[in-house]
Amino acid sequence: MQSLLLADFFGSIAEIFSTGKYLNMLLQGLKTTLIVSVGAAAVGILLGSLVAVVRILPKKSKWMILPNLICSAYTTIIRGTPMALQLFIMAFVIFAIRGFPLELTAILAFGINSGAYVSENIRAGILSVDKGQTEAGRALGLSGAQTMLRIVIPQGMKNVIPAIGNELIALIKETSIVSMIGMYDLTQVAKILGSGQNLATYLAPMTVAALFYLAIVYLLTFGIRLIERRLRRSDNR
Amino acid sequence: MITANGIYKSFGKNEVLKGVSLNVEKGEKIAIIGPSGSGKSTLLRCLNLLEEVDYGEVWLEGGLLTQVDPYLHPEIIERSRTYRTLAEQLKTEGADEATLHDEIVAKIKRDDLLKRFEGKEYHAAIKQLYRENIVNINVARRSMGMVFQQFNLFHNMNVLGNMIYAPVKLKIFDKTTAIEKAKRLLERIGLPDKINDYPGSLSGGQKQRIAIARSLMMNPKIMLFDEPTSALDPEMVGEVLLLMKELADEGMTMVIVTHEMGFAREVATRVMFMDGGKIVEQGAPQKIFETPENDRLKDFLSKVL
Repeated sequence: MQSLLLADFFGSIAEIFSTGKYLNMLLQGLKTTLIVSVGAAAVGILLGSLVAVVRILPKKSKWMILPNLICSAYTTIIRGTPMALQLFIMAFVIFAIRGFPLELTAILAFGINSGAYVSENIRAGILSVDKGQTEAGRALGLSGAQTMLRIVIPQGMKNVIPAIGNELIALIKETSIVSMIGMYDLTQVAKILGSGQNLATYLAPMTVAALFYLAIVYLLTFGIRLIERRLRRSDNR
Repeated sequence: MITANGIYKSFGKNEVLKGVSLNVEKGEKIAIIGPSGSGKSTLLRCLNLLEEVDYGEVWLEGGLLTQVDPYLHPEIIERSRTYRTLAEQLKTEGADEATLHDEIVAKIKRDDLLKRFEGKEYHAAIKQLYRENIVNINVARRSMGMVFQQFNLFHNMNVLGNMIYAPVKLKIFDKTTAIEKAKRLLERIGLPDKINDYPGSLSGGQKQRIAIARSLMMNPKIMLFDEPTSALDPEMVGEVLLLMKELADEGMTMVIVTHEMGFAREVATRVMFMDGGKIVEQGAPQKIFETPENDRLKDFLSKVL
């Protein structure tokens, strides 16, 4: 009985990879997931860095009050509301324009969401650098910007990279909710493959989708480790 | 060379400096001693503006580093509305014309009477004084070397990088000259083989000697030491003090906040004792250590010597 189930399972998997239509659907889903993830990661990191910079700059000047307020409102609101709701608002309110590419909507929704978390990660990383480092730089006559760029940020990055890695991993998996606005990503395709019209079993397509996610995340983790190792070369204590 | 006038500084409600003035002449070696919390380090950090002062001015070789403090300039006080009102009031009361001026200035200083807005003339005078004397703090800091208790070597750069980054970036030397100078300095402090090491692999004493060398790279005219040996293992204190003594013997102007009484006595030309945010007693080391006058100083010395 059990061997029969296993045979079924492997049979279905073989069917997915050998049937052109199924394989095509799967790859399309993978492509959507990757496009949304990579695009959102880029938007998120850019936006997050920008917001982090604004929030770290000294708050004394009156020109910094408004940007600071906007940025802290942004992180508060984005981190305080559900991702799915933000996605709906993007798709059905802000970009409810006929013909507006869904991919772009999703990229912006996830990017803006991710930016809030990334900015907090960067801010925390930079604040974690000992104040003495800034003081030493300033005492040598370097300007605030020179000290920040060449002394504080490189050291803060060491603490930021693992946190951003975490955020990116969460982001990739979170993109699975794009099916809620009618996109066909890896998760949605797996669901369709499992339906009665196709394989009539969910186990095999879901397993395949899971393995795809796992592979992406594993590759990402590996890349982040490499970057971390490079950055940590200097503190051989 | 460096002058601080009437420095006040508080952190929140904690008043750390309560009107400290100090004048350092070229070649002087000033040791600042005192119990913890007396404001020694804060005073030193105010000299190169790592702490912004609340009141008071810091001058470096005729250049103003801080904001103008109107209370220090009678000629500015004279132009204030408060001064004029007080003058009229006292005149009608029939005050003596000769001492009137000094009296009002003293009263304004004592009672902190200057307001935010004191009339056009007054603000113009402040602005003029500021414009004529202000120097860029980043430029001024190049001639003031600072050595920290926690060394504060840049962890993301090796020893050479630590030493040449600022002088090259600020175009004081080109890179080859800077490297040569760094090598000479490392040779001098006895650490030429550490040139490519990262700070993480050095001992405390080595770090502090390199931190001193890093400051010397800028050819400073004055060196500020903020408890340079307090974070060191006892066996490493000697090597750092020796280097500082060598610097002193070469004629470097130095201000040293320290708990090393022996060093203060041997090297300093003037010793200042601070307590409760004020300089309580100062003078030649012999006088301070052998015939102290202030009770608080006597008490302090009896505990540390």
